[in-house]
Amino acid sequence: MGNGIALAHKPEVTPPPFCDIQFDPMMGFPEGRKERVMIATEEEMVAAKLPYEQRDYCAHLAIKLLQCRKEVWPWAYKCQPERHEYLTCEYEDYILRMKEYERERRLMERRERIKKKQEREG
Amino acid sequence: MAGLIKIGKFAANKIANKNSLGVIIRSASHWNKDWKPGPYPETQAEREAAAKKYGIPIEDYKTYENDGTGHGDYPKLDDISVERRDPYYPYDFPESKRNFGDVYHVDADLYSEDRYNNSQQRYSMKFMVLSFLTVIGASAAIYIFLEDYKTFRPVAAKQFPRDGKVHYTFEAPH
Repeated sequence: MGNGIALAHKPEVTPPPFCDIQFDPMMGFPEGRKERVMIATEEEMVAAKLPYEQRDYCAHLAIKLLQCRKEVWPWAYKCQPERHEYLTCEYEDYILRMKEYERERRLMERRERIKKKQEREG
Repeated sequence: MAGLIKIGKFAANKIANKNSLGVIIRSASHWNKDWKPGPYPETQAEREAAAKKYGIPIEDYKTYENDGTGHGDYPKLDDISVERRDPYYPYDFPESKRNFGDVYHVDADLYSEDRYNNSQQRYSMKFMVLSFLTVIGASAAIYIFLEDYKTFRPVAAKQFPRDGKVHYTFEAPH
């Protein structure tokens, strides 16, 4: 609930939901950042008929899970390790997005802080 | 199986025996044209005959206007819904508050107890409309006022490789 009130009252320091990142991704990372790697290829995803919303950085695990289910069906419980692996990947993806949001918010606050300081001084 | 044979024997007996068929189809009034009201009564004698047919006193007997709606000699009863009838009277059919042989109102399907009650309501129509508008209006006002305060999860857009951007983790490259 706090997010909604913050977005209504302080939109200059609150990113909207599902925001795109507007700052330089390397800002504040003197050593740089590791790039995310996409393992599944476009052809593999098309061949597996993977839904559009699942073609993210966990797609290779989704394909692995689908393949496992197809092999052992109807004993789908045997794919529990694959399922766990895939869902852990999705969970970590979500955590990353939350971190990106928080970084965006803090950078917006920093921008506001610098702006106010400049107004005070000059 | 034995039950099926029994039913089959019973049906065969019914069809073969003309008398039992006659028991099934005994009433002359078995089709809707047989219950159609008669022609509109023009003379006093016709009015008296119609009143007698429907079993109501001649002084209470009124007809609908002969305007082509097809009511004919059917009596025009007062618009009193079943809800208004005395609930303590020992009716022949207490569940529909009706005695045997009572004439049905033309709109009896409307005035039955589970449909419409045209007696004095507990609250006036103005009061009821105002109450409705107050509750609905207050709910709508709260909804519109809180439109900008909707909560959400603090999460950035989902990252897809097809976006054409380079995405990064929060780890150092080495």
